[in-house]
Amino acid sequence: MVSITFDKHTSGQFNAELEEARNHLMEMGGIVEQQIEIAFKSLVNVDSELASEAIQMDKDVNKMELKIDKETTQILAKRNPAATDLRFIIAVSKTVNDLERIGDEAVKIAQQAIELSNDGAGPQGYVELRHLGEKVREMVQSSLDSFARLDADSAFEVMQQDKAVDLEYNTAVRTLVTKMMEDPRTITRALNVLWALRALERIGDHAQNISENVIYLVKGKDVRHKKLEKVEETVNR
Amino acid sequence: MTTNTNDELAQIFEGWSSTVGKPTLKDNARMTTRGVDVFYGEKQAIFGVDLDIGKNEVLAMIGPSGCGKSTFLRTLNRMNDTIDICRVKGDIHLDGDNIYDKKMDVVNLRARVGMVFQKPNPFPKSIYDNVAYGPRIHGLVTRKAELDEIVETALQKASIWNEVKDRLDQPATGLSGGQQQRLCIARTIAVSPEVILMDEPCSALDPIATARIEELIAELSENFTIAIVTHSMQQAARVSSRTAYFHLGRLVEVGATDKIFTAPEHRLTEDYITGRFG
Repeated sequence: MVSITFDKHTSGQFNAELEEARNHLMEMGGIVEQQIEIAFKSLVNVDSELASEAIQMDKDVNKMELKIDKETTQILAKRNPAATDLRFIIAVSKTVNDLERIGDEAVKIAQQAIELSNDGAGPQGYVELRHLGEKVREMVQSSLDSFARLDADSAFEVMQQDKAVDLEYNTAVRTLVTKMMEDPRTITRALNVLWALRALERIGDHAQNISENVIYLVKGKDVRHKKLEKVEETVNR
Repeated sequence: MTTNTNDELAQIFEGWSSTVGKPTLKDNARMTTRGVDVFYGEKQAIFGVDLDIGKNEVLAMIGPSGCGKSTFLRTLNRMNDTIDICRVKGDIHLDGDNIYDKKMDVVNLRARVGMVFQKPNPFPKSIYDNVAYGPRIHGLVTRKAELDEIVETALQKASIWNEVKDRLDQPATGLSGGQQQRLCIARTIAVSPEVILMDEPCSALDPIATARIEELIAELSENFTIAIVTHSMQQAARVSSRTAYFHLGRLVEVGATDKIFTAPEHRLTEDYITGRFG
Protein backbone atom coordinates (compact mmCIF):
# COMPACT_ATOMS: atom_id res chain seq x y z
CA MET A 1 0.00 0.00 0.00
CA VAL A 2 1.19 3.48 -0.84
CA SER A 3 2.09 5.54 2.23
CA ILE A 4 -0.05 8.61 2.73
CA THR A 5 0.89 12.23 2.27
CA PHE A 6 -1.43 15.13 1.67
CA ASP A 7 1.04 17.64 0.35
CA LYS A 8 3.11 17.66 -2.84
CA HIS A 9 0.17 18.21 -5.18
CA THR A 10 1.02 20.30 -8.20
CA SER A 11 -1.74 22.58 -6.97
CA GLY A 12 -0.63 24.24 -3.75
CA GLN A 13 -4.20 25.40 -3.24
CA PHE A 14 -5.35 21.76 -3.16
CA ASN A 15 -2.72 20.97 -0.51
CA ALA A 16 -4.03 23.87 1.54
CA GLU A 17 -7.67 22.78 1.17
CA LEU A 18 -6.90 19.23 2.36
CA GLU A 19 -4.83 20.55 5.24
CA GLU A 20 -7.63 22.86 6.26
CA ALA A 21 -10.24 20.09 6.24
CA ARG A 22 -7.88 17.96 8.35
CA ASN A 23 -7.24 20.74 10.85
CA HIS A 24 -10.93 21.48 11.18
CA LEU A 25 -11.72 17.82 11.75
CA MET A 26 -9.13 17.69 14.53
CA GLU A 27 -10.55 20.88 15.98
CA MET A 28 -14.05 19.38 15.95
CA GLY A 29 -12.67 16.21 17.55
CA GLY A 30 -11.14 18.34 20.32
CA ILE A 31 -14.45 20.07 21.03
CA VAL A 32 -16.31 16.75 21.11
CA GLU A 33 -13.74 15.19 23.48
CA GLN A 34 -14.14 18.15 25.79
CA GLN A 35 -17.92 17.93 25.52
CA ILE A 36 -17.92 14.26 26.54
CA GLU A 37 -15.66 15.02 29.47
CA ILE A 38 -17.85 17.85 30.73
CA ALA A 39 -21.08 15.87 30.20
CA PHE A 40 -19.63 12.91 32.01
CA LYS A 41 -18.37 15.03 34.88
CA SER A 42 -21.79 16.66 35.15
CA LEU A 43 -23.31 13.21 35.48
CA VAL A 44 -21.03 11.75 38.14
CA ASN A 45 -21.10 14.98 40.14
CA VAL A 46 -24.78 15.59 39.41
CA ASP A 47 -23.92 19.13 38.39
CA SER A 48 -26.63 20.76 36.29
CA GLU A 49 -24.50 23.80 35.49
CA LEU A 50 -21.79 21.67 33.93
CA ALA A 51 -24.53 19.74 32.15
CA SER A 52 -25.88 22.94 30.61
CA GLU A 53 -22.37 23.78 29.45
CA ALA A 54 -22.09 20.41 27.67
CA ILE A 55 -25.47 20.99 26.03
CA GLN A 56 -24.38 24.46 24.89
CA MET A 57 -21.21 23.05 23.33
CA ASP A 58 -23.33 21.07 20.90
CA LYS A 59 -23.90 24.27 18.97
CA ASP A 60 -20.16 24.54 18.29
CA VAL A 61 -20.03 20.91 17.25
CA ASN A 62 -22.91 21.43 14.82
CA LYS A 63 -21.24 24.54 13.39
CA MET A 64 -18.05 22.57 12.78
CA GLU A 65 -20.06 19.83 11.11
CA LEU A 66 -21.55 22.29 8.62
CA LYS A 67 -18.20 23.94 8.01
CA ILE A 68 -16.31 20.72 7.28
CA ASP A 69 -19.15 19.32 5.17
CA LYS A 70 -18.99 22.44 3.05
CA GLU A 71 -15.23 22.10 2.65
CA THR A 72 -15.36 18.44 1.64
CA THR A 73 -18.19 19.14 -0.82
CA GLN A 74 -16.13 21.91 -2.40
CA ILE A 75 -13.10 19.62 -2.71
CA LEU A 76 -15.22 16.90 -4.33
CA ALA A 77 -16.73 19.40 -6.76
CA LYS A 78 -13.56 21.22 -7.70
CA ARG A 79 -10.72 18.74 -7.35
CA ASN A 80 -12.11 15.38 -8.39
CA PRO A 81 -9.98 13.70 -5.74
CA ALA A 82 -8.69 10.18 -6.40
CA ALA A 83 -6.88 7.45 -4.47
CA THR A 84 -5.68 8.59 -1.00
CA ASP A 85 -7.16 12.05 -1.52
CA LEU A 86 -10.55 10.50 -2.26
CA ARG A 87 -10.32 8.10 0.67
CA PHE A 88 -9.32 11.00 2.88
CA ILE A 89 -12.36 13.05 1.90
CA ILE A 90 -14.68 10.07 2.39
CA ALA A 91 -13.09 9.31 5.78
CA VAL A 92 -13.33 12.95 6.90
CA SER A 93 -16.92 13.18 5.79
CA LYS A 94 -17.95 10.04 7.67
CA THR A 95 -15.93 10.93 10.75
CA VAL A 96 -17.61 14.33 10.92
CA ASN A 97 -20.92 12.51 10.99
CA ASP A 98 -19.76 10.24 13.81
CA LEU A 99 -18.39 13.17 15.81
CA GLU A 100 -21.67 15.03 15.48
CA ARG A 101 -23.55 11.96 16.72
CA ILE A 102 -21.11 11.63 19.63
CA GLY A 103 -21.97 15.25 20.43
CA ASP A 104 -25.66 14.33 20.47
CA GLU A 105 -24.97 11.42 22.83
CA ALA A 106 -23.01 13.75 25.13
CA VAL A 107 -26.08 15.99 25.21
CA LYS A 108 -28.20 12.98 26.25
CA ILE A 109 -25.77 12.25 29.09
CA ALA A 110 -25.95 15.88 30.23
CA GLN A 111 -29.76 15.77 30.10
CA GLN A 112 -29.76 12.74 32.40
CA ALA A 113 -27.47 14.67 34.76
CA ILE A 114 -30.03 17.48 34.88
CA GLU A 115 -32.87 15.01 35.54
CA LEU A 116 -30.90 13.39 38.37
CA SER A 117 -30.04 16.78 39.77
CA ASN A 118 -33.74 17.77 39.70
CA ASP A 119 -34.51 14.59 41.65
CA GLY A 120 -31.93 15.68 44.16
CA ALA A 121 -30.12 12.39 44.08
CA GLY A 122 -26.74 11.34 42.74
CA PRO A 123 -25.65 8.25 40.90
CA GLN A 124 -22.80 7.68 43.33
CA GLY A 125 -22.09 4.05 43.83
CA TYR A 126 -22.74 3.12 40.23
CA VAL A 127 -19.14 2.14 39.68
CA GLU A 128 -19.96 0.70 36.30
CA LEU A 129 -20.90 4.11 34.96
CA ARG A 130 -17.57 5.66 35.89
CA HIS A 131 -15.64 2.76 34.46
CA LEU A 132 -17.51 2.69 31.19
CA GLY A 133 -17.25 6.45 30.88
CA GLU A 134 -13.46 6.36 31.20
CA LYS A 135 -13.14 3.57 28.67
CA VAL A 136 -15.34 5.26 26.12
CA ARG A 137 -13.54 8.58 26.46
CA GLU A 138 -10.26 6.81 25.86
CA MET A 139 -11.70 5.15 22.78
CA VAL A 140 -12.76 8.47 21.28
CA GLN A 141 -9.40 10.02 22.06
CA SER A 142 -7.46 7.08 20.61
CA SER A 143 -9.59 6.93 17.47
CA LEU A 144 -8.97 10.65 16.82
CA ASP A 145 -5.26 10.21 17.55
CA SER A 146 -5.10 7.35 15.07
CA PHE A 147 -6.76 9.61 12.50
CA ALA A 148 -4.26 12.39 13.16
CA ARG A 149 -1.31 10.01 12.91
CA LEU A 150 -2.86 7.89 10.12
CA ASP A 151 -2.14 4.87 12.28
CA ALA A 152 -4.16 1.78 11.32
CA ASP A 153 -2.67 -0.29 14.17
CA SER A 154 -3.94 1.99 16.91
CA ALA A 155 -7.29 2.30 15.09
CA PHE A 156 -7.52 -1.49 15.25
CA GLU A 157 -6.80 -1.41 18.99
CA VAL A 158 -9.82 0.88 19.42
CA MET A 159 -11.97 -1.58 17.50
CA GLN A 160 -10.86 -4.34 19.85
CA GLN A 161 -11.88 -2.25 22.86
CA ASP A 162 -15.44 -1.91 21.64
CA LYS A 163 -16.17 -5.55 22.46
CA ALA A 164 -15.11 -4.93 26.07
CA VAL A 165 -17.30 -1.81 26.21
CA ASP A 166 -20.32 -3.76 24.97
CA LEU A 167 -19.68 -6.43 27.58
CA GLU A 168 -19.34 -3.88 30.33
CA TYR A 169 -22.52 -2.13 29.21
CA ASN A 170 -24.47 -5.39 29.38
CA THR A 171 -23.10 -6.17 32.83
CA ALA A 172 -23.99 -2.69 34.06
CA VAL A 173 -27.53 -3.03 32.69
CA ARG A 174 -27.96 -6.34 34.50
CA THR A 175 -26.69 -4.85 37.75
CA LEU A 176 -29.09 -1.92 37.45
CA VAL A 177 -32.03 -4.20 36.69
CA THR A 178 -31.19 -6.24 39.78
CA LYS A 179 -31.07 -3.06 41.87
CA MET A 180 -34.41 -1.93 40.50
CA MET A 181 -35.97 -5.27 41.39
CA GLU A 182 -34.50 -5.18 44.85
CA ASP A 183 -35.65 -1.66 45.56
CA PRO A 184 -38.35 -0.24 43.27
CA ARG A 185 -37.80 3.25 44.72
CA THR A 186 -34.55 3.42 42.74
CA ILE A 187 -36.29 2.80 39.41
CA THR A 188 -36.48 6.45 38.24
CA ARG A 189 -32.88 7.14 39.10
CA ALA A 190 -31.71 3.84 37.73
CA LEU A 191 -33.49 4.58 34.44
CA ASN A 192 -31.64 7.91 34.16
CA VAL A 193 -28.38 6.11 34.68
CA LEU A 194 -29.44 3.47 32.18
CA TRP A 195 -30.03 6.12 29.50
CA ALA A 196 -26.62 7.60 30.21
CA LEU A 197 -25.03 4.17 29.99
CA ARG A 198 -26.76 3.62 26.69
CA ALA A 199 -25.39 6.96 25.39
CA LEU A 200 -21.88 5.96 26.48
CA GLU A 201 -22.17 2.65 24.70
CA ARG A 202 -23.27 4.45 21.53
CA ILE A 203 -20.28 6.79 21.79
CA GLY A 204 -18.09 3.69 21.85
CA ASP A 205 -19.77 2.51 18.65
CA HIS A 206 -19.05 5.84 16.97
CA ALA A 207 -15.40 5.67 18.09
CA GLN A 208 -15.27 2.26 16.46
CA ASN A 209 -16.73 3.74 13.26
CA ILE A 210 -14.04 6.44 13.28
CA SER A 211 -11.41 3.72 13.62
CA GLU A 212 -12.90 1.88 10.66
CA ASN A 213 -12.70 5.11 8.65
CA VAL A 214 -9.01 5.41 9.57
CA ILE A 215 -8.28 1.85 8.43
CA TYR A 216 -10.13 2.52 5.15
CA LEU A 217 -8.10 5.69 4.67
CA VAL A 218 -4.74 4.11 5.43
CA LYS A 219 -5.21 0.62 3.99
CA GLY A 220 -7.71 1.27 1.23
CA LYS A 221 -9.96 -1.53 2.47
CA ASP A 222 -13.47 -1.23 3.84
CA VAL A 223 -13.47 -3.19 7.11
CA ARG A 224 -17.02 -2.40 8.22
CA HIS A 225 -19.09 -5.44 9.19
CA LYS A 226 -15.99 -7.63 9.15
CA LYS A 227 -14.85 -9.98 11.89
CA LEU A 228 -11.95 -8.67 13.99
CA GLU A 229 -9.63 -11.42 12.67
CA LYS A 230 -10.28 -10.23 9.09
CA VAL A 231 -9.68 -6.62 10.10
CA GLU A 232 -6.41 -7.65 11.72
CA GLU A 233 -5.29 -9.30 8.47
CA THR A 234 -6.03 -6.08 6.58
CA VAL A 235 -4.19 -3.96 9.12
CA ASN A 236 -1.11 -6.20 9.12
CA ARG A 237 -0.91 -6.43 5.35
CA MET B 1 10.54 12.42 -23.71
CA THR B 2 12.88 13.77 -21.06
CA THR B 3 16.24 12.11 -20.63
CA ASN B 4 16.95 10.85 -17.14
CA THR B 5 20.24 9.60 -15.77
CA ASN B 6 20.38 6.06 -14.41
CA ASP B 7 20.41 7.40 -10.86
CA GLU B 8 17.34 9.49 -11.46
CA LEU B 9 15.59 6.52 -13.04
CA ALA B 10 16.51 4.30 -10.10
CA GLN B 11 14.99 6.90 -7.81
CA ILE B 12 11.85 7.34 -9.88
CA PHE B 13 11.27 3.60 -10.13
CA GLU B 14 12.21 2.87 -6.54
CA GLY B 15 10.65 -0.43 -5.48
CA TRP B 16 9.53 -1.18 -9.03
CA SER B 17 10.92 -4.13 -10.92
CA SER B 18 7.97 -5.32 -12.91
CA THR B 19 4.40 -4.27 -13.55
CA VAL B 20 2.23 -4.15 -10.44
CA GLY B 21 -1.15 -5.86 -10.77
CA LYS B 22 -2.21 -8.39 -13.39
CA PRO B 23 -1.16 -7.27 -16.86
CA THR B 24 -1.93 -10.64 -18.43
CA LEU B 25 -5.22 -12.46 -18.54
CA LYS B 26 -5.75 -16.18 -18.02
CA ASP B 27 -8.23 -16.45 -20.83
CA ASN B 28 -10.44 -14.13 -22.79
CA ALA B 29 -7.49 -12.15 -24.20
CA ARG B 30 -8.12 -10.63 -27.62
CA MET B 31 -4.70 -9.01 -27.98
CA THR B 32 -1.56 -10.02 -26.14
CA THR B 33 1.74 -8.18 -26.02
CA ARG B 34 4.89 -9.70 -24.55
CA GLY B 35 8.21 -8.00 -23.97
CA VAL B 36 7.40 -5.12 -26.28
CA ASP B 37 10.23 -2.62 -26.76
CA VAL B 38 9.86 0.34 -29.09
CA PHE B 39 12.78 2.42 -30.34
CA TYR B 40 12.88 5.70 -32.22
CA GLY B 41 16.33 5.44 -33.75
CA GLU B 42 18.69 4.88 -30.82
CA LYS B 43 16.22 6.06 -28.26
CA GLN B 44 14.07 3.53 -26.47
CA ALA B 45 10.51 4.71 -25.86
CA ILE B 46 8.87 1.52 -24.54
CA PHE B 47 10.51 -1.00 -22.22
CA GLY B 48 9.40 -4.65 -22.13
CA VAL B 49 5.65 -4.23 -21.89
CA ASP B 50 3.53 -7.32 -21.23
CA LEU B 51 -0.15 -6.47 -21.46
CA ASP B 52 -3.33 -8.24 -22.53
CA ILE B 53 -6.51 -6.66 -23.78
CA GLY B 54 -9.54 -8.80 -23.01
CA LYS B 55 -12.48 -9.42 -25.32
CA ASN B 56 -15.16 -6.74 -25.00
CA GLU B 57 -13.24 -4.88 -22.34
CA VAL B 58 -12.45 -1.18 -22.35
CA LEU B 59 -8.81 -0.77 -21.37
CA ALA B 60 -7.70 2.76 -20.55
CA MET B 61 -4.04 3.72 -20.80
CA ILE B 62 -3.01 6.73 -18.79
CA GLY B 63 0.22 8.46 -17.90
CA PRO B 64 2.04 11.76 -18.16
CA SER B 65 2.99 13.21 -21.54
CA GLY B 66 5.81 11.28 -23.13
CA CYS B 67 5.20 8.14 -21.08
CA GLY B 68 4.77 6.07 -24.24
CA LYS B 69 1.07 5.29 -24.00
CA SER B 70 0.28 6.55 -27.51
CA THR B 71 3.42 4.91 -28.89
CA PHE B 72 2.32 1.64 -27.34
CA LEU B 73 -1.23 2.03 -28.69
CA ARG B 74 0.15 2.61 -32.16
CA THR B 75 2.14 -0.63 -32.07
CA LEU B 76 -1.16 -2.51 -31.75
CA ASN B 77 -2.11 -1.93 -35.39
CA ARG B 78 1.38 -1.22 -36.70
CA MET B 79 0.75 2.50 -37.08
CA ASN B 80 4.41 2.95 -36.17
CA ASP B 81 5.38 1.30 -39.46
CA THR B 82 4.82 4.67 -41.09
CA ILE B 83 7.67 6.16 -39.02
CA ASP B 84 10.99 5.22 -40.65
CA ILE B 85 13.14 5.30 -37.54
CA CYS B 86 10.68 3.35 -35.41
CA ARG B 87 11.52 -0.25 -34.48
CA VAL B 88 9.29 -2.60 -32.52
CA LYS B 89 10.60 -5.69 -30.70
CA GLY B 90 8.66 -8.35 -28.82
CA ASP B 91 5.47 -10.26 -29.60
CA ILE B 92 2.07 -8.81 -30.32
CA HIS B 93 -0.72 -11.22 -31.13
CA LEU B 94 -4.29 -10.61 -32.21
CA ASP B 95 -6.46 -13.68 -31.63
CA GLY B 96 -3.31 -15.79 -31.83
CA ASP B 97 -1.98 -14.17 -35.04
CA ASN B 98 1.41 -12.51 -34.79
CA ILE B 99 0.70 -9.04 -36.17
CA TYR B 100 4.38 -8.36 -36.91
CA ASP B 101 4.66 -11.56 -38.95
CA LYS B 102 6.10 -10.93 -42.43
CA LYS B 103 3.01 -12.53 -43.95
CA MET B 104 0.63 -10.23 -42.07
CA ASP B 105 -1.28 -7.96 -44.46
CA VAL B 106 -1.08 -4.57 -42.75
CA VAL B 107 -4.10 -3.14 -44.57
CA ASN B 108 -6.17 -6.07 -43.40
CA LEU B 109 -4.71 -5.77 -39.89
CA ARG B 110 -5.84 -2.16 -39.69
CA ALA B 111 -9.35 -3.24 -40.64
CA ARG B 112 -9.26 -5.76 -37.79
CA VAL B 113 -7.73 -3.22 -35.40
CA GLY B 114 -9.30 0.14 -36.21
CA MET B 115 -8.19 3.48 -34.89
CA VAL B 116 -9.86 6.73 -33.89
CA PHE B 117 -7.58 9.73 -33.59
CA GLN B 118 -7.37 12.82 -31.43
CA LYS B 119 -8.72 15.17 -34.02
CA PRO B 120 -11.65 14.03 -36.14
CA ASN B 121 -10.26 13.38 -39.62
CA PRO B 122 -13.14 12.72 -42.03
CA PHE B 123 -12.26 12.38 -45.71
CA PRO B 124 -13.25 15.38 -47.83
CA LYS B 125 -16.11 13.32 -49.17
CA SER B 126 -19.79 12.89 -48.43
CA ILE B 127 -20.96 11.46 -45.12
CA TYR B 128 -22.05 8.29 -46.93
CA ASP B 129 -18.73 7.84 -48.75
CA ASN B 130 -16.75 8.31 -45.55
CA VAL B 131 -18.43 5.26 -44.03
CA ALA B 132 -18.65 3.31 -47.30
CA TYR B 133 -14.94 3.77 -48.04
CA GLY B 134 -13.67 0.93 -45.85
CA PRO B 135 -16.18 -1.73 -46.89
CA ARG B 136 -15.51 -0.79 -50.55
CA ILE B 137 -11.71 -1.03 -50.46
CA HIS B 138 -11.81 -4.22 -48.40
CA GLY B 139 -14.31 -5.70 -50.88
CA LEU B 140 -16.79 -6.50 -48.13
CA VAL B 141 -19.82 -5.85 -50.35
CA THR B 142 -20.94 -6.59 -53.88
CA ARG B 143 -24.28 -4.84 -54.08
CA LYS B 144 -25.33 -1.25 -53.37
CA ALA B 145 -28.14 -2.40 -51.07
CA GLU B 146 -25.64 -4.26 -48.89
CA LEU B 147 -23.42 -1.20 -48.70
CA ASP B 148 -26.40 0.97 -47.78
CA GLU B 149 -27.18 -1.41 -44.94
CA ILE B 150 -23.59 -1.42 -43.64
CA VAL B 151 -23.46 2.38 -43.75
CA GLU B 152 -26.76 2.72 -41.91
CA THR B 153 -25.83 0.14 -39.27
CA ALA B 154 -22.43 1.72 -38.66
CA LEU B 155 -23.95 5.18 -38.34
CA GLN B 156 -26.58 3.83 -35.96
CA LYS B 157 -23.99 2.06 -33.83
CA ALA B 158 -22.02 5.29 -33.68
CA SER B 159 -25.18 7.10 -32.49
CA ILE B 160 -25.17 9.60 -35.34
CA TRP B 161 -27.71 8.11 -37.77
CA ASN B 162 -30.61 10.31 -36.69
CA GLU B 163 -28.53 13.44 -37.16
CA VAL B 164 -27.26 12.62 -40.65
CA LYS B 165 -29.79 10.30 -42.29
CA ASP B 166 -31.32 13.12 -44.35
CA ARG B 167 -28.01 14.51 -45.57
CA LEU B 168 -25.86 11.49 -46.34
CA ASP B 169 -24.71 13.04 -49.62
CA GLN B 170 -23.44 16.22 -47.98
CA PRO B 171 -19.77 16.82 -47.17
CA ALA B 172 -18.65 15.29 -43.87
CA THR B 173 -16.55 18.37 -43.19
CA GLY B 174 -19.79 20.33 -42.66
CA LEU B 175 -20.54 18.40 -39.45
CA SER B 176 -19.67 19.67 -35.98
CA GLY B 177 -16.49 18.39 -34.28
CA GLY B 178 -18.39 15.93 -32.11
CA GLN B 179 -20.41 14.67 -35.08
CA GLN B 180 -17.24 14.32 -37.15
CA GLN B 181 -15.67 12.21 -34.40
CA ARG B 182 -18.72 9.96 -34.22
CA LEU B 183 -18.61 9.72 -38.03
CA CYS B 184 -14.96 8.61 -37.76
CA ILE B 185 -16.05 5.98 -35.24
CA ALA B 186 -18.78 4.87 -37.70
CA ARG B 187 -16.12 4.69 -40.43
CA THR B 188 -13.98 2.51 -38.16
CA ILE B 189 -16.74 0.11 -37.20
CA ALA B 190 -18.09 -0.17 -40.77
CA VAL B 191 -15.38 -2.75 -41.52
CA SER B 192 -16.33 -4.78 -38.40
CA PRO B 193 -13.03 -4.55 -36.54
CA GLU B 194 -12.22 -6.82 -33.60
CA VAL B 195 -10.43 -4.08 -31.71
CA ILE B 196 -10.87 -0.30 -31.73
CA LEU B 197 -7.94 1.84 -30.63
CA MET B 198 -8.76 5.37 -29.52
CA ASP B 199 -6.03 7.95 -29.11
CA GLU B 200 -7.47 10.76 -26.98
CA PRO B 201 -10.71 10.72 -28.96
CA CYS B 202 -12.34 13.52 -26.98
CA SER B 203 -9.51 15.97 -26.46
CA ALA B 204 -10.77 18.24 -29.23
CA LEU B 205 -14.42 18.05 -28.16
CA ASP B 206 -16.64 20.03 -25.81
CA PRO B 207 -18.09 18.38 -22.66
CA ILE B 208 -21.41 17.44 -24.28
CA ALA B 209 -19.79 15.89 -27.36
CA THR B 210 -17.37 14.15 -24.98
CA ALA B 211 -20.25 12.73 -22.93
CA ARG B 212 -21.83 11.34 -26.11
CA ILE B 213 -18.58 9.66 -27.17
CA GLU B 214 -18.18 8.18 -23.69
CA GLU B 215 -21.74 6.87 -23.83
CA LEU B 216 -20.93 5.42 -27.23
CA ILE B 217 -17.78 3.71 -25.91
CA ALA B 218 -19.93 1.91 -23.31
CA GLU B 219 -22.35 0.76 -26.03
CA LEU B 220 -19.57 -0.29 -28.40
CA SER B 221 -17.87 -2.40 -25.73
CA GLU B 222 -20.75 -4.88 -26.06
CA ASN B 223 -19.46 -5.80 -29.52
CA PHE B 224 -15.89 -4.58 -29.69
CA THR B 225 -12.69 -4.61 -27.69
CA ILE B 226 -11.54 -1.07 -27.00
CA ALA B 227 -8.20 0.36 -25.93
CA ILE B 228 -8.27 4.06 -25.19
CA VAL B 229 -5.46 6.47 -24.45
CA THR B 230 -6.64 9.52 -22.57
CA HIS B 231 -5.21 12.51 -20.75
CA SER B 232 -8.40 12.84 -18.78
CA MET B 233 -8.24 10.65 -15.70
CA GLN B 234 -11.92 11.17 -15.05
CA GLN B 235 -12.61 9.88 -18.53
CA ALA B 236 -10.47 6.80 -17.91
CA ALA B 237 -12.32 6.27 -14.63
CA ARG B 238 -15.72 6.63 -16.31
CA VAL B 239 -15.32 4.55 -19.45
CA SER B 240 -12.89 1.74 -18.70
CA SER B 241 -13.06 -1.52 -16.82
CA ARG B 242 -9.27 -1.85 -16.57
CA THR B 243 -6.66 0.86 -16.41
CA ALA B 244 -2.96 0.69 -17.25
CA TYR B 245 -0.55 3.32 -15.96
CA PHE B 246 2.57 4.08 -18.03
CA HIS B 247 5.56 6.05 -16.81
CA LEU B 248 8.72 6.80 -18.81
CA GLY B 249 8.03 3.93 -21.19
CA ARG B 250 7.31 1.36 -18.49
CA LEU B 251 3.97 -0.20 -17.69
CA VAL B 252 4.01 0.52 -13.96
CA GLU B 253 0.63 -0.75 -12.84
CA VAL B 254 -2.48 -2.28 -14.31
CA GLY B 255 -5.67 -3.28 -12.57
CA ALA B 256 -9.42 -2.90 -12.27
CA THR B 257 -10.31 0.75 -12.82
CA ASP B 258 -12.25 0.81 -9.52
CA LYS B 259 -9.12 -0.24 -7.67
CA ILE B 260 -6.66 2.00 -9.54
CA PHE B 261 -8.68 5.13 -8.79
CA THR B 262 -9.41 4.41 -5.14
CA ALA B 263 -6.41 2.45 -3.89
CA PRO B 264 -3.55 2.09 -6.40
CA GLU B 265 -0.63 -0.09 -5.35
CA HIS B 266 2.28 1.93 -6.69
CA ARG B 267 3.46 5.35 -5.59
CA LEU B 268 3.93 6.53 -9.20
CA THR B 269 0.31 5.69 -10.08
CA GLU B 270 -0.89 7.36 -6.89
CA ASP B 271 1.15 10.49 -7.59
CA TYR B 272 -0.16 10.77 -11.13
CA ILE B 273 -3.85 10.27 -10.44
CA THR B 274 -3.81 12.57 -7.43
CA GLY B 275 -2.08 15.33 -9.37
CA ARG B 276 1.32 15.25 -7.71
CA PHE B 277 3.36 15.66 -10.87
CA GLY B 278 4.60 18.94 -12.20
